[in-house]
Amino acid sequence: MNVSNRKCVRRLSIRSMWAAKSRNLIAVVAIALTTILFTTLFTIALSFNHAFQQANFRQAGSYAHGSFKYLTMEQVEELRSDPLIREYSLRRIVGMPHDVPFNKTHVELGYSDANNAKWAFIDPVEGHLPAEGTNEAAIDTRVLSLLGIQPVLGTEFTLTFQVDGEETTETFTLCGWWEYDSAIPASNVLLPISRTESIFDKLGTKGEDGMTGFWTMDVMFRNAINIERDVNTVLENHGFQNEDSYMDNYISTGVNWGYTGAQLSGSADPITVIAIAALLMIIVFTGYLIIYNVFQISVSGDIRFYGLLKTIGVTGRQLKRIIRIQAMSLSVLGIPLGLLAGYLIGVQLTPVVLSRLDGVVVDAISASPFIFLFSAFFSLVTVLISCRKPGRMAARVSPVEAVCYTEGSSGKKTLRKGQKGASLPTMARANLSRNRRKTNVTIISLSLAVVLLNLTVTFTNGFDMDKYLRRMASDFVVADAGYFQVSSGWSDMSVGEEVIESINEQGGITAAGRTYGLTSFVQEFVPEEYFRTKYSRWYSPEELDIVVEDHEKLEDRLADDAQLYGMERFALDKLGVVEGDISKLHEPGGRYVAAVYRLDDYNNPELDSHWAQVGETITMRYVDELEYYDPNTGEVSRDGVSEDIPWALRARKYHDVDYQVAALVTIPLALNYRYYVNYEFVLNDQTFVQDTGTDSVMYYAFDTTDETNRDMETFLRDYTENIQPGYDYESKETYAAEFESIRGMFTILGGVLCFIISLIGVLNFLNAILTGILTRRREFAVLQSIGMTGRQLKSMLIWEGIYYTLGSVVVSLLLCLATAPLLSSALGNIFWFFTYRFTIMPVLLVIPVFALLGVLLPLVSYHFVAKRSIVERLREAEN
Amino acid sequence: MNILQTKKLKKVYGSGENAVYALNEVDLQIDKGEFVAVVGTSGSGKSTLLHMLGGLDRPTSGVVEVDDQDIFSLKEEALTIFRRRKIGFVFQNYNLVPVLNVYENIVLPSQLDGQIPDAAYIDSIIETLGLGSKLQNLPNNLSGGQQQRVAIARALATKPAIILADEPTGNLDSKTSLDVLGLLKVTGQKFSQTIVMITHNEELAQMADRIVHIEDGRIVTG
Repeated sequence: MNVSNRKCVRRLSIRSMWAAKSRNLIAVVAIALTTILFTTLFTIALSFNHAFQQANFRQAGSYAHGSFKYLTMEQVEELRSDPLIREYSLRRIVGMPHDVPFNKTHVELGYSDANNAKWAFIDPVEGHLPAEGTNEAAIDTRVLSLLGIQPVLGTEFTLTFQVDGEETTETFTLCGWWEYDSAIPASNVLLPISRTESIFDKLGTKGEDGMTGFWTMDVMFRNAINIERDVNTVLENHGFQNEDSYMDNYISTGVNWGYTGAQLSGSADPITVIAIAALLMIIVFTGYLIIYNVFQISVSGDIRFYGLLKTIGVTGRQLKRIIRIQAMSLSVLGIPLGLLAGYLIGVQLTPVVLSRLDGVVVDAISASPFIFLFSAFFSLVTVLISCRKPGRMAARVSPVEAVCYTEGSSGKKTLRKGQKGASLPTMARANLSRNRRKTNVTIISLSLAVVLLNLTVTFTNGFDMDKYLRRMASDFVVADAGYFQVSSGWSDMSVGEEVIESINEQGGITAAGRTYGLTSFVQEFVPEEYFRTKYSRWYSPEELDIVVEDHEKLEDRLADDAQLYGMERFALDKLGVVEGDISKLHEPGGRYVAAVYRLDDYNNPELDSHWAQVGETITMRYVDELEYYDPNTGEVSRDGVSEDIPWALRARKYHDVDYQVAALVTIPLALNYRYYVNYEFVLNDQTFVQDTGTDSVMYYAFDTTDETNRDMETFLRDYTENIQPGYDYESKETYAAEFESIRGMFTILGGVLCFIISLIGVLNFLNAILTGILTRRREFAVLQSIGMTGRQLKSMLIWEGIYYTLGSVVVSLLLCLATAPLLSSALGNIFWFFTYRFTIMPVLLVIPVFALLGVLLPLVSYHFVAKRSIVERLREAEN
Repeated sequence: MNILQTKKLKKVYGSGENAVYALNEVDLQIDKGEFVAVVGTSGSGKSTLLHMLGGLDRPTSGVVEVDDQDIFSLKEEALTIFRRRKIGFVFQNYNLVPVLNVYENIVLPSQLDGQIPDAAYIDSIIETLGLGSKLQNLPNNLSGGQQQRVAIARALATKPAIILADEPTGNLDSKTSLDVLGLLKVTGQKFSQTIVMITHNEELAQMADRIVHIEDGRIVTG
């Protein structure tokens, strides 16, 4: 049966809602606070994701969704009109310089249109893109510094570069420049189309390499949800394909991994996911605690009213609806307030959170509508969950019971032991047990704030600077920026002697040393077991069997790429010796090596991370030339490699050198390659230079006196920013600053979370006390009429407040003690620089605050009651 | 000897044309040990009178003297203390404290006064009212009559000068009403209490020593 009574129920709901003004206020504030928590969390999370994605884009070189590569202009014309493509950009490569000073840097000359410059982060910050028909060019600051020219617009410069195999030298006028970004793989020199044409004409370029002179079209689709499908659809629409490169209709395509990469890393990192889920749970729970309590209390206060409604024929379901409508109406007010405040807080907090992430720049705080949608949704869910039980309670009440219902009298308890009579404290205690649920929820909600505070303090106190600095072995490390860049890694980016000289000129250096990095090809011979361990990540066991079988061997050991360090004494002295005697390496040119164990995050050597034993003699094979051969027939490939034979690679020209393993060592994190692929050995500098025939300085590390520390820091900052922007440095000070920023971030985040949750706790407390007093107005009148003075009444209420406080302190103490062992291991596992120190100081510090609240809140609330005379209150309940 | 008297007691609600005289110059004297019933229809001012006598509400003008003490010359806090020593209340809906058991409810007023209850005296009240077996019960486990007997016990516990009963049998059936009133009268006599009872029931009023009729805020007979 469907009766049109919704309007009437709604009217009832709204009218009765207006009757509970103080409850409404508290409920709105509670809902708003819950929403604030959600919004702040989502703002930070989405901004984080956004920034992370931006970092990926910079590494990928662009934030275009996809690209179609090496097109002719006809193909561009055809594809670009495809309805799937929202926007497109064009780029055309002309050539690359290879001679000094560009031998170590990837620089591309070419044309980019405005869209491309924007999407690829190569928009000039100063000046403009080159104009057609001029000899203008725009470049980045790295190219500027390599050319040795000042960033002054109008400066002329000359570049020699290769265009499809032809070398040419051209002169340009600087029309714009932008900051070099070490995360972006290539540097660019932007030219106008007219210039690209004239160069091609001059050289008669035909584009035999399949790239030069062709166009690359980057595109934006409607969204990034399925870029690959969109790319393929566009190809299909125009009769192209990207699978068979021998067909005429082949077009090479690319999908920006920055989009997929960000999504993958977001979903693949279980700790982040768990952390966010845990936070969401805590917020839902906190929100539930208070919103539930507000409604539960208000329903038990209004139970007579609901009983009355029932007697006149309102059904249980309608009662539930009445409560739900009230909750929704309050949400309509509370949620937008919370969204606004939460977003503002999130905007403030995001930079704090992101500042510690390397290479991630906060360019914009996410204002994604999802933040508000998610937050509003979660808040609403919390509200609905919270008012379900109170709704059932109102629906279940029988009309007759409701009329004589007083708070707590529904309990089964009929007896109370003891004949000593009632003192104020015992009355207060008895009062709290009337509505145990309310009392418990209030106490839990207060305790939660305390536990979180304790957690935050434990957490940030536990951050161990000493542990953190252990990875930084020397005061300073200077190297090419690429060495510090996780995305690129070090590869033949030598620190110039002029740089080392400039540093040494600063003075104050107490000890210093170069470490050479390997730029040639060296093989070592690894026991099969270790070979299998290393490659098991890339091959299936079956494949591995074949690889081992066919592999180049020396005795029973397998040839494998080696990684070598050539260390001067300074770095050698910083090594951690696990076994053996490192001093043998001090002899210049001595044939001794140290095998390198890896370090785990906790700075302990991983004991099976290297195969070599102290005292054993090992062979290094220095390879001058390689050859491809067919492992089945032994046939050597002379002219390139085709894909039908599984060619294997081996040394053709080489010399072997034998070494004795003098020690097993560990290298401090700041002094290693910063990536790990092969089993590593350390040689001293001279042996290294002698045997490899190379001398590329990977980094220059040094200590300074305490007095000159600061000066060196200032010098290096200026030097790597302005004079040699291709270089970068790390120092104990930057590490310490990084440490402080991590700690600061957690302090602020924890602090804000604690603050809001304690606000919720206190609000809950206030609500419990206030409603406890309001619903007992009449009872207080009775007590006063039989002789309880106002003072006695107040002290009874204060006792109630103190019991809440005591309860919260006891519960939070127990919780803190119970979670301590769990925390210490969990946090120690997540953060390697964490040292657990048990503390309950925060709990103790909170006691006086709570005690004060326990006294003040009842006194304040009592004022609401005391305004009305006893007779008024006595009469009130009788009608 | 008058234990309670009012002089030109007046209570006006509202003002001007809307003024309602709940009590209009009421002069009433009650002797020690007397059982007085105040009878009137609803709205006659009898509840207001009782509240004035008990010091729960302040009059517009006039004086209430209990034991020769002008109670409205006292400050709020002092008035409360005076009330808990000199006056016991019995309400129509019992008004027991729900979280306290029967015994605790009975001794509550004397404990609020910081006194150790006179155990022998309390025991004899409990015995007289037949509450011996219910002392540890919470009020929600008692019948209406039982609750009202607890309320009477509570009113007697501090050995007050007067017991003021506001429709004490209003929520009880007629047999229980007679029982409770009987007990009220008997205990009043036994512990030599002065009782002022409000009722609209003429029949029950007959049990009193004296009946005072009140109409439109004025005493008509008494």
